Amino acid sequence: MREHTSPGGAEDPASSAPVAWPIELASVTVRYPNGVVALNDVSLAIAAGEIVSVVGLSGSGKSTLIRTINGLVPTTQGTVTVGPHVVSQLRGKALRELRGNVGMIFQSFNLADRASVYQNVSVGRFAHTAAWRTMLGMTSFEDREIVMRALDSVGMLEKVWGRAGALSGGQKQRVAIARALSQEPEVMLADEPVASLDPPTAHSVMADLERINSERGLTVLVNLHLMDLARQYTTRMIGLRAGEVVYDGPAASATDADFEAIYGRPIQSRDRLG
Amino acid sequence: MAETLVLPPKPRSWPRIAMVVAALAAMTVLTTIPALGGVELDFGAIARNWSNGAERIGMLFTPDWSILPRTWQPMLETLSMAVVGTGIAAAASIPLSLWAARPTNPNGVTRRAVRFVLNVVRAVPDLVYATILVAMVGVGTLPGVITLVLFDIGIVVKLVSEAIDSADSAYMEAGHAAGGTQPQINKVAALPQSWPVMASQVLYSLELNVRISAILGLVGAGGIGRLIDEVRGFYRYDALSTIILEILIVVLLIEVLSNYLRKRLR
Repeated sequence: MREHTSPGGAEDPASSAPVAWPIELASVTVRYPNGVVALNDVSLAIAAGEIVSVVGLSGSGKSTLIRTINGLVPTTQGTVTVGPHVVSQLRGKALRELRGNVGMIFQSFNLADRASVYQNVSVGRFAHTAAWRTMLGMTSFEDREIVMRALDSVGMLEKVWGRAGALSGGQKQRVAIARALSQEPEVMLADEPVASLDPPTAHSVMADLERINSERGLTVLVNLHLMDLARQYTTRMIGLRAGEVVYDGPAASATDADFEAIYGRPIQSRDRLG
Repeated sequence: MAETLVLPPKPRSWPRIAMVVAALAAMTVLTTIPALGGVELDFGAIARNWSNGAERIGMLFTPDWSILPRTWQPMLETLSMAVVGTGIAAAASIPLSLWAARPTNPNGVTRRAVRFVLNVVRAVPDLVYATILVAMVGVGTLPGVITLVLFDIGIVVKLVSEAIDSADSAYMEAGHAAGGTQPQINKVAALPQSWPVMASQVLYSLELNVRISAILGLVGAGGIGRLIDEVRGFYRYDALSTIILEILIVVLLIEVLSNYLRKRLR
């Protein structure tokens, strides 16, 4: 699909459209129906175009935090503001519209394994497409083009007609990134994107996220539990412990003591990817 | 060197086994006491009557092949009933299965409504459908086809929706996170995801349809069953055995075909 790139090296449409959005959490508390308080009075401000890691052990509330930003988890108290939207006030169509502008990737990729790579990536166009077009399978030329370009940008274009289930873990995560990119989002969320991958693949997926931030200028928020990945790929780090922010500062200069405070225990070898 | 292992105490299982045995024994006693409405089994009847059946069984073992030319047309009718019924049922089952499964229909009210209606549809025996439909739309293949459609929808939707329920549906979260509506996610992700199990159950219902539509003719709902009813009425058990063999061969052929197709689907 390289022949589609115009000779002048014009910016490809997927990266020129979005303008990044800031994210703000104001005293956000999330209490699940079973009584567990996953987030306790969390306040944060993330500037547009920042790449931020949220670090904490499992159960610290990082998955909940990231899911309040696209409304997958409703807040119990407080407000979440993403660009022009106040997430907690959105319902139905307005909520879907916000989600259409916020890309997300997951630890277990969340692809439909028996569907084709193309079908999986076209999921990213849902919020930007009339529902009748999706139901009748009448994809517009622009949507198709966006899907193909997104796949091309993660180097997965040649697999477009293959089954998603036949791919390796790293390839699946790249397809998932393409799905998020095809939304042409303003914000990119990543929930433990490399926890199911081997170290070399983990580094290449982190590099993809870094590139999305630097080239497309998206606001990127990535959940991690490994300290070296946070230091290497993100500029700012938020430490969560038991649903509360215990660290907020530069990632590269965070000391081992800072990490011990986040983990609530001495550093172990499994806290690094190596 | 080797220390004796301290094993955790094994839970006692004999009280439970004793309870089960006692319950079974009590059931047996209760159901066989004539005063409590137990069924009467007269084994002597076998000795007295077996010769009547022996003659018929003897005829079954000497098939009368002369009936064969008369079977082609009704057998084709049976087959086309089975195929048409399966086709209509398959088309109807696609949306119904998605409505009846939790991941593809989070709305509890409509989901339970669909499931309830299908439970009712499944509870009615196929011969009852056929009998009523013959009265309603007349003798012929139409009541047979409608019966098969109802029967097939009942089983296909149940089996497919349960398969969707138990399958991993993490892709749903991705669809919602991308701002998709439930119908959009169902169409693009859930449908391709459940395609193989759907096709497999539809093939299974095709197999069942050939067997069932052979019977439906007994109540006037078309197909080879009408011929069975006729030759049985004339005590032509030798001709009946030819028809049974023919049905057996057709069923086996369809089974082989659907097994082959099912393997290709995996």
